Amino acid sequence: MTTAACFIIVSRNYIPIYEAEVGSAAKREDAAQLPQFILQAALDIVQDLAWTTSAMFLKAIDKFNGLVVSVYVTADHILNISKPIHFLHFIIHTRFMLLHDSRSDDGIKSFFQEVHELYIKSLLNPLYLPGSRITSSHFDTKVGALARKSL
Amino acid sequence: MHSDRLAADVPAKMPQADKAHGFMMSRTYSSPGNFDCSIGRPMRLAEIFVAAEHALKKTISNPDLQKILSSVENFEQKYMELTKGAADNYHHSWWKRYGVVLDGEIAAVCFKRGNFDLAAKSYEKVCALYAGEGWEDLLAEVLPNLAECQKSLNDEAGYLSSCVRLLSLDKGLFSSKERQAFQSEVVSLAHNEMTHHVPLDVSSLITFSGNPGPPMALCDGDTGTLSVTVWSGFPDDITLDSLSLTLMATYNADEGGKLRNSNAIVLKPGRNTITFPLPPQKPGSYVLGVLTGHIGQLTFRSHSFSKGGPADTDDFMSYEKPTRPILKVFKPRPLADLSASISSALLINETQWIGIIAQPINYSLKGAVLHIDTGPGLMIEESHSIEMESYKKAGQGSVGTENSGEATKDSSAAAKDCSPATDKHFEQLRLVSSKIEFPDWASDVSSILWIPIRAIDDKLARGSSSGAPEKQSIVDRMRTIALKLEFGISRNQIYDTTIALHFSDPFHVSTRVANQSNDSTLLLQVVTLHSQLNATLSVYDAWLDLHNGFTHAGQGNGRPISAFFPLVISPTSRAGLLFCLCLEKRTAEDENKVPPENILNIRYEIAGDRTIGAHPPATMKSNENDEDANKNLVFRSTLVLQQPVLSPCLAVGFLPLPSNSIRVGQLVTMKWRVERLKDIEEKRVPQNNDKMLYEINANSDKWMIAGRKRGHVSLDMKQGSRIVISILCMPLVAGYIHPPHLGLPGIDEVSISCSPAGCHLVCVLPPAPSSSFCVPA
Repeated sequence: MTTAACFIIVSRNYIPIYEAEVGSAAKREDAAQLPQFILQAALDIVQDLAWTTSAMFLKAIDKFNGLVVSVYVTADHILNISKPIHFLHFIIHTRFMLLHDSRSDDGIKSFFQEVHELYIKSLLNPLYLPGSRITSSHFDTKVGALARKSL
Repeated sequence: MHSDRLAADVPAKMPQADKAHGFMMSRTYSSPGNFDCSIGRPMRLAEIFVAAEHALKKTISNPDLQKILSSVENFEQKYMELTKGAADNYHHSWWKRYGVVLDGEIAAVCFKRGNFDLAAKSYEKVCALYAGEGWEDLLAEVLPNLAECQKSLNDEAGYLSSCVRLLSLDKGLFSSKERQAFQSEVVSLAHNEMTHHVPLDVSSLITFSGNPGPPMALCDGDTGTLSVTVWSGFPDDITLDSLSLTLMATYNADEGGKLRNSNAIVLKPGRNTITFPLPPQKPGSYVLGVLTGHIGQLTFRSHSFSKGGPADTDDFMSYEKPTRPILKVFKPRPLADLSASISSALLINETQWIGIIAQPINYSLKGAVLHIDTGPGLMIEESHSIEMESYKKAGQGSVGTENSGEATKDSSAAAKDCSPATDKHFEQLRLVSSKIEFPDWASDVSSILWIPIRAIDDKLARGSSSGAPEKQSIVDRMRTIALKLEFGISRNQIYDTTIALHFSDPFHVSTRVANQSNDSTLLLQVVTLHSQLNATLSVYDAWLDLHNGFTHAGQGNGRPISAFFPLVISPTSRAGLLFCLCLEKRTAEDENKVPPENILNIRYEIAGDRTIGAHPPATMKSNENDEDANKNLVFRSTLVLQQPVLSPCLAVGFLPLPSNSIRVGQLVTMKWRVERLKDIEEKRVPQNNDKMLYEINANSDKWMIAGRKRGHVSLDMKQGSRIVISILCMPLVAGYIHPPHLGLPGIDEVSISCSPAGCHLVCVLPPAPSSSFCVPA
């Protein structure tokens, strides 16, 4: 069971659109922004790693002081850019990133998958602008419940 | 793998400089060196220092490394070099976030050392990445450090920009006191002397948008007031010394204007409604451009539209919404119209009411001012007020409580509008400095102004002698009145027009001889009165002032019998008066004098409606009875009295042509017979010889004369003597043409009786068809 966790959804423009403190660990006052700092820096690794695999769950990609960064990417958009010789595919992801302190891949994977479903439902809302911040309290509640259930 | 890279490469990087040493990261793969020392008793610090130094020197062979580890400054220097190198490498390999982490480390160390320049550069990189990717939490940790560096470097522009960015961050990231401190920094710096006046971009803090709904509509040339919503993200009220807003035309970015509000404006946090005076703009559609202003010495600008409006407005969630037109200026169009209510002639030399219809065309005439300028020969009767009343379309006339002219029995009855209109208005206005101000009720309805005017013409009317009425020149009796209507919000709309007014005498007089006595001493002259006005004229008296050789026949004064009056003449109809005159013997002195003209005087009354045409003159306010005043109108006209040929001395007769038909090219002899009727009087014909000069006049295009056109003939002096004058001529054109005319230049026309009396025509046939052929020789 993960005790300390910070969950962030990062849009394809690298802008955080959702942020939640999950788990039961107390927040340190002297390093309040440390989870965001670590997850933001880990985006470079995600950017490279996503090219090497077609899997959506990238598992643990980075580690910091006993905290592990697990990432789950979606396949939102495929851009095809044709050049004379090469045919380039750009896959733009939405990234689900979790900073946690224990390894429980199965639980984390199921958490990510269920949050992914929740995210898709948000996208289906015609009043929600893709790429904007998710401010729905219902979404917040559901993420919390999923975290308690899976993590 | 990448998993431990962060821990290995990144030492303790603190988001806040004052926590640079507050949190130590554990190094997974670093391990402390082993000291080979036997501890018998606790060593003193100095001994530990020496032992450690000795151990390091034994284990480290590289002199550079020894030097690095020899002092904190050298260690920090090397650390900085390595960190900078690593950061550059990360940036080159597109791991910019890792590079930025190291930039943050460098910035923190430089900041601690007081090297604010380098620290600021590094912090700017970090802030740029966090701001670009929207990590406001992280930005809130680093931006205050950057602001400190900029303040220490006296970088006013950078410091102000950082303060604005701090205020633009999410409100939950800073306390109210902290945000107020940021604002006070901005304001105090703005009111101090600034070294460099750089406009501050506050697009993230002050946004603006137009009011919801359709765009403001203005007519061309109109001014107005534009209301704009300005959102302030400042935590407290902030005073703006001036505010300007640009307007851009939607189809031409170069077109547009700038609106200024020079008054000090206090922006409250949240929504504010600011009004701008709007000067006249060119026709087109406009959107909001850039908002600029001053706070003390500081110039700021914002070019972002409000995105965070309340949920009930259209601006909510309008991130990428195309700009909505805020103002629409229509193309120039007619806004008002001034026209005369009637086109028929009015009475000249009398006070008449002219009606000017003022009609707004989908535009308000509130506060309008009408300038009235009369042309030459026309004046406004200032003793009367100008009347203004609401106006309805043709067919109903004006809705007024008072008609200036008396409504007479017949013709004007139909012009009266007896239907009581619920919204009729009537008002008397005074002309002040040749202008009148419109009352408020005339703002949106058609109205008619009744202006008392008098057209002046000193010339006496002249009658004609032909049977048909001679048309007077319209230009002689036409007057103009120039009107200029100033209206609009600031009286910026001008409507200029000049209206032509026609005036006329009540009658045109023509005369003819109806009959004459055998001795030609009595003449019955018929004086025909042609009514010139669209009004009923009643003649109450008429008399002739005779001169020029005429006098009334009989014992009386020649006036028609009073029982015949009043003689009512309907509009544009005719009536006649018969006068019996006879010739008056003139003395030799009278012959030499310039005879005065014969004048017809008519006392009449006019009954009409000012809404239809001429009408009784507007009377002055006096004790005089209106009815009597109307009957005392007198019309005077000169008369041309014909004096027929009463005693011809000679008769000239055109003798019939030899054949009924003459043809072109055919020679024909034209003959005239001249007969002496009686002795010729001295003045008219030379008496001493019987030679008489004759002259034949013919149109040379139509006749060829073969013979003498002018010459003398002998006519015996006795009464009854005759002579025939003939001439050979040939017609040149076919058709009905005037024949040559025989004239007697030396004899007065009145002494010649011609037969036929006037011009006549002869029929000339085309030339006879002919055929010819040429036979070769």
